[in-house]
Amino acid sequence: MNSRYDSVILGTSSHLQRQCVPATNMMRPSTISIAICFSLTQLTLASAHADDKDFFEKKIRPVLVERCFKCHSERAESVKGGLLLDSREASRRGGDSGAAVVPGDIQASLLLSALRYESFEMPPDGQLPDSVIADFETWIKAGAHDPRDAPTSETARAKIDWDEARRFWAFQPPTLQPLPNDVAVDSFHSPIDAFVAARLQAATLAPNPEASRRVLLRRVTFDLIGLPPTPEEVDSFVNDEAPDAYERLVDRLLASPQYGERWSRMWLDVARFAEDQAHIVGNDSSLCYPNAYLYRDWVIKAINEDLPYDQFVRRQLAADLIDPDDKASHVALGFIGLGPKYYRRSDLEVMAEEWEDRVDTVARGLLGLTIACARCHDHKYDPIPTEDYYSLAGVFASTEMFNRPLDDKREREKDGQTKKAEDAVHIVRDTNPQDLNVFIRGDVKKKGEVVRRRFPQILCSAESLSLAFENGSGRLELADSIATRDNPLTARVIVNRVWGQFFGKPLVGTPSNFGSLGERPTHPELLDDLAVRFMDSGWSLKWLQRKIVLSATYRQSSDIDAAKQAIDPANTLLWRMHRRRLSVEAWRDSLLSAGDQLALQVGGPSIDPQDPDERRRTAYSRISRLELHAMLALFDFPDPNVHSPKRNETTTPLQKLFVLNSPFMVRQAESFARRVTEAATEDSGRIGCAYQIAFGRDPSSDELAIGLTFLDGCDEAEEQARWTQYAQIIMASNEMLMVD
Amino acid sequence: MLNRRQMLQQASAGFGMVGLAGALNGLQAVEATPVVPHFTPKAKRVIFLFMNGAPSHVDTFDPKPALARYEGSQPTGELYRKNDGSGYMPSPFKFRAHGESGVVLSELLPNLATHADDLCVLRSMHTNVPNHEPGLLVMNSGNQQPIRPSLGSWCSYGLGTENENLPGFVVLCPGLPVVGPQLWSSSFLPGQYQGMSVDTSDMHVDKLVANLNHPNLTRAQQQRQLEFLGRLNQLHREQRAGEAALDAQIRAMELAFNMQREASAAFDVSREPATIREMYGQTTFGQSCLLARRLCENGVRFVQVYYVAKNEKQPWDTHADNNKRHRDLCADSDRATAALLTDLKARGMLEDTLVIWGGEFGRTPYAQLDKKKEYAKAGRDHHHTGFSMFLAGGGVRGGMMYGSTDEFGMNAVENRIHVHDLHATILHLMGIDHKRLTYRYSGRDFRLTDVHGEVVHGIVS
Repeated sequence: MNSRYDSVILGTSSHLQRQCVPATNMMRPSTISIAICFSLTQLTLASAHADDKDFFEKKIRPVLVERCFKCHSERAESVKGGLLLDSREASRRGGDSGAAVVPGDIQASLLLSALRYESFEMPPDGQLPDSVIADFETWIKAGAHDPRDAPTSETARAKIDWDEARRFWAFQPPTLQPLPNDVAVDSFHSPIDAFVAARLQAATLAPNPEASRRVLLRRVTFDLIGLPPTPEEVDSFVNDEAPDAYERLVDRLLASPQYGERWSRMWLDVARFAEDQAHIVGNDSSLCYPNAYLYRDWVIKAINEDLPYDQFVRRQLAADLIDPDDKASHVALGFIGLGPKYYRRSDLEVMAEEWEDRVDTVARGLLGLTIACARCHDHKYDPIPTEDYYSLAGVFASTEMFNRPLDDKREREKDGQTKKAEDAVHIVRDTNPQDLNVFIRGDVKKKGEVVRRRFPQILCSAESLSLAFENGSGRLELADSIATRDNPLTARVIVNRVWGQFFGKPLVGTPSNFGSLGERPTHPELLDDLAVRFMDSGWSLKWLQRKIVLSATYRQSSDIDAAKQAIDPANTLLWRMHRRRLSVEAWRDSLLSAGDQLALQVGGPSIDPQDPDERRRTAYSRISRLELHAMLALFDFPDPNVHSPKRNETTTPLQKLFVLNSPFMVRQAESFARRVTEAATEDSGRIGCAYQIAFGRDPSSDELAIGLTFLDGCDEAEEQARWTQYAQIIMASNEMLMVD
Repeated sequence: MLNRRQMLQQASAGFGMVGLAGALNGLQAVEATPVVPHFTPKAKRVIFLFMNGAPSHVDTFDPKPALARYEGSQPTGELYRKNDGSGYMPSPFKFRAHGESGVVLSELLPNLATHADDLCVLRSMHTNVPNHEPGLLVMNSGNQQPIRPSLGSWCSYGLGTENENLPGFVVLCPGLPVVGPQLWSSSFLPGQYQGMSVDTSDMHVDKLVANLNHPNLTRAQQQRQLEFLGRLNQLHREQRAGEAALDAQIRAMELAFNMQREASAAFDVSREPATIREMYGQTTFGQSCLLARRLCENGVRFVQVYYVAKNEKQPWDTHADNNKRHRDLCADSDRATAALLTDLKARGMLEDTLVIWGGEFGRTPYAQLDKKKEYAKAGRDHHHTGFSMFLAGGGVRGGMMYGSTDEFGMNAVENRIHVHDLHATILHLMGIDHKRLTYRYSGRDFRLTDVHGEVVHGIVS
C-alpha cells in the first residue's frame, strides 16, 4: 500500500515517529524495510535541488507533516479553513481563501504569505524559522515539485449532485395521490382516513371506534378555539340527533372569533413573536416594540378571515411592496420587523447575526429548511451551498427595521422614523439594495465572492435558476418564490404544522426541518395529497382544519388497546387519537372559564397572564425576549429569541407548585367555588355543577362520594373556604389538564 | 415500563447519551435518573461566583511591576478602542507569595491568601470582545448572541439533578444583572434545565422562591387537599389504561409537595449558626455564597452567584476610582469567597465542588480618566485580551498559577485559555466530554463549545 508518510518514518524528531505510528501499523513488514532503505538513501544526500523530489521529501514534507497536518490533512480532527495540505491536488486547490500553492508564483501562493505571517499567521503557535520559510520559497519558485498524487477525497468542497439532490422527497413537487385501492373506501369519511387505513391494515391494525360525543365535543372545541365547551354547549350537542350535528358544530367553531386567537399562537411561535429584546442597555428601551400587539391583532384577524395562506405569507414578507398605499396592511411586516435586534448594531458582525435570524425564521418557519446551517460552510447534509445562504441574507441586508409613525401627528426623525418607539408600528422597509459577499467560514472579515440575491438553487426550476432578485431588496420576489404552487415545501410545511396541532405529533416529526436529517413523513401520500388539495382549495386553513377534524382518524377514541399498543407503541400509524396535554394558553383560559371570568374581547395590548385580576385570554400575554414570563416559561412556552419548530412538553414539580400555591390559582379557585355554590344549594348538586363546568360530564358515584367526604364536617363559616379548596383541586386535576 | 437499557437505547436515538436526563424528563418520567458520565467526574457540582462588571487582573491576581517602571507610557499593539493617553497605571496594591505553593495575590485578598494552596489561578484568560453584553453571554453560553443554552443548563441537561425535590441549576442575584435571564437560559434545551433565578434582595425564604407556600392554607389542610386530589387522579387514571403520562403528572404533584418542605429548608440561611453567617459577611454577596453552599449540600448541581448590587448592576466596572472601588469590592468578595472555601473544606465538599471566580473579562493595565482628569481617581477600561480567573476544588490542581500575560498584562501569551477552553475544562471536570455533550436542534448537533475548546489538562489534578 501507498503511505504518504513513509519517507518521514525515520524523520529526525521522535514527534514525527509518533505521528506516523498508525501508518506503519498498517504496513506489512516488507514495506517497512523498503521505507527504511529509501529514507536512509535520502539522509545520505548532502544537498538537494529545489526542483527534485528529494528537496520536497527532505525540506518540505517533514514540515508539512509536523507543523501543518494537525489542522490541514484528512487525518485532522477538524480541517481548518477548508484547506488540505496532504496531497498535491489539495494544496494547489487550496481552501476557503484560495490556492495555497501556485507553482512558480510566490506572490499568489497563500501558503508562503501565511508562513510569513502576512496573510494568515501560520502555524498559529509560532512562526517557523526563516530558513524553513526560505525553503518553501525556493521550492515554490522552482515549480513546487510534489510527488504526492494520492487522490484525496473531496473534503474541502464537495460538489453537489443536483440531479440526485432533487430526487429527495421534499424537493419533489407534491401531487394528488390515488386512494389506496385495497382499502374499503366506503366506510371512510375522507381520503385522510383511506391513507391512514392503508398503513394500519398493512400492520394488521384497526382504528379505534369513534369517541363519545362528550369527548369529541371537548376535543374539537379545545382544538379549534382553545376553550372548553360550556355546559349548555355540551347539552345541546349531546342531544342533537341530526346527522350533520358534528359538521354544524365544527362550522360554528371555525366561525367563532376565538378561533383566530387560538390559532394565532401556532403562528406566533413560528414567527418568534416578541415585544422587546434579549438585552436592554440601561434604561434605553428604544429597541423595544411597544406596539407589537398590532401585528398580533393582524395575525388573529387574518386567521379569523381565513386569509389564504399564500397571501398570509406574502403580506408578512412584503406588504409594503405589494401595495405601498395600503398602509394598514403593512403591519403584517412585523413578521420580520419584530425580530431580534442585537447589541452593537453598527458592527457588520452583529448585523450578520441579525440577518441570520431573518434567514432562519423564513427558512425554517416557511420552508422547513435549515438554510442558516450554510452560513459558515456548505450545508453538510442538504443541497444548500454557502452561496445560497448569502443570496438570501442579501435580501435582509437590503431591508431595514422601520419604526413607521402610527399617524401624521407623531414626531419623527429625519429618516422618517418616529422619535419614540411608542409612536410607531414596527415594520421594515427597503434600504439600499446590496448583494453580499460570502463571508468565508462565517467570518465577516474574510470576504469571498459576491453572490446575487436570489432563491436557493435547490428550489429553483431550470428556468428560474439564473434569475436574480432585482426589485429593490428582493423581498417581494422572495415572497413570491415561497408562496407559490411551484414551491414543493411551502404547502407541505404548513399542512404538517396544522396536523401536528390536532394530533400532537406532526406527520413529519421535525416540522421545521424537511431536510435529509429531518424525519421522513409517517404518511407521505397523505401529506402530499392534503398539501395539493389545500392549495386547490385556495390555500384555506379553515378548509384544511375542517377536513382534518371531520375525518374518522381525528374522531377516534384515545383509548389504549394493549394488543394494538404492542404492535405500534408510539401510535405512529394512528390507530388511536393521541391523548394530549393542554397548552399553557388553553389551560389558563379554561381555568378562567371555569370561574366564568374569561373576557372575550378580541385584540388589543398585552397582558400579564399571572395577574390574578387579569381576565383576558393567554394569547394576549406580553412576550419578552429579555425575560420570558415566569408562568409561560414554566409551562413550556418557547424561547421567543428564535423560531420555535414545536413546543417541548415537560412535567416538573415547579409547575405543580404554581398549581398548588400561586395567587392566580387561588383566585380562580375562589371564582369557580363562588359560581358553583351560587348555582345549587346542596353539596351534591354543586359537585355535579362543578363537573359539568370543568369536564362537561356528570361525576361518577365514586367521585361524588369522595367529594362529599372532602367537603364534610365544616361549619357554615368555613364552608366557602372549603369549597375554594375543593374547586382548586378540580382545577389541579389531571382531567383539567388533559384532553382525551 | 421500560427498563433502563431500553431507555438508554431510545434516548440515544434522539439525544447524546449523556443527555439522557433530558429524554427522561419529558412526559415519560420526571424522576431524576443518575446518568453515567463519559468518564469519572472529579466535580459533582459547581459554584460560579461571577464578579459583574469585570475585575481588574493587575490589581488582584496578576502582578505587573513593569507598569510602575513604565507608568504613563502609551500601550502599544492593537487596542480595542483609543485610550485617553494617560498611559500605563501601576497597581498601588502590594503582591506577595502565599502558602507552600507561593501563589501570588494582592493585598486586597488577605482571606483568600490563606487558601493559596487550594487556588488554581488562571492568568491567561482571553475572550472575544471587551463589551459587557457579549462578554457576559460568551462567558455564560459560549456565544455572543442570546440564543444558546447556558453553561449551567448544559451541565444539568448532561448530568441531571442529584435531588429531584430541588431544581438542578439555581442562580442567585439581587435583581437582575446586565443581559439578565438569557445568562441562565435553557434556550432550545427543554425548559427544566433553565436556571431557576432567585432574587436575593430579601433573603427571607418566602421571598426567595415563588409559590413555595400556599398563601393561606396550613400544611395539614393542604395535605388533606392533596389526598383528595390523589384519589381523583387515581379514578381518572384507572379509566385510561396504559397512559404513563398521567403517572408523570401524579408524581410531579407529589414531588412538588415534598419540595415545599425541602426547599423551605434548603433556601433558608437563617438556619445557619451565627458564627457561620458572620464568617461569610453580612452582605448580600456573602449570604448568597452561604446559600450557594446550602443548595449544593442539598444536591443542586450548578449554582451561580452574581455579584450585583440592587442599584448597581455591574459594580466591578470601575471606569473611575478603580483603586478605592476595588479595595471595597475585594473586601466583600474576598471574605465571602474565602469563607465558602473554608466551609466547603470543613464539610469535605471542596474536593468534589468546583468553585469558579471571575468576571466577563479584565480591565486595562492603563488608566482611564474622567472629565476632571484626576489621576488619583483614575479608572480602568474594559480589557479582553488577557485577564485572570481562579478555580478551586473539584479536581483542579491547587496552589497553581497557570499561564501568563505579557509584562504589562495586556495580552495572554503563555498557555492561553479562551472561554471555550474554560468551558471544555469545566465539563471535563464534571465527567463530560464537551465534544460529545450535544443536542439536536434545527438540523444539527449543538454543543456548548460549538466547534471550539480544548480541555486545559495542565490544571486538572
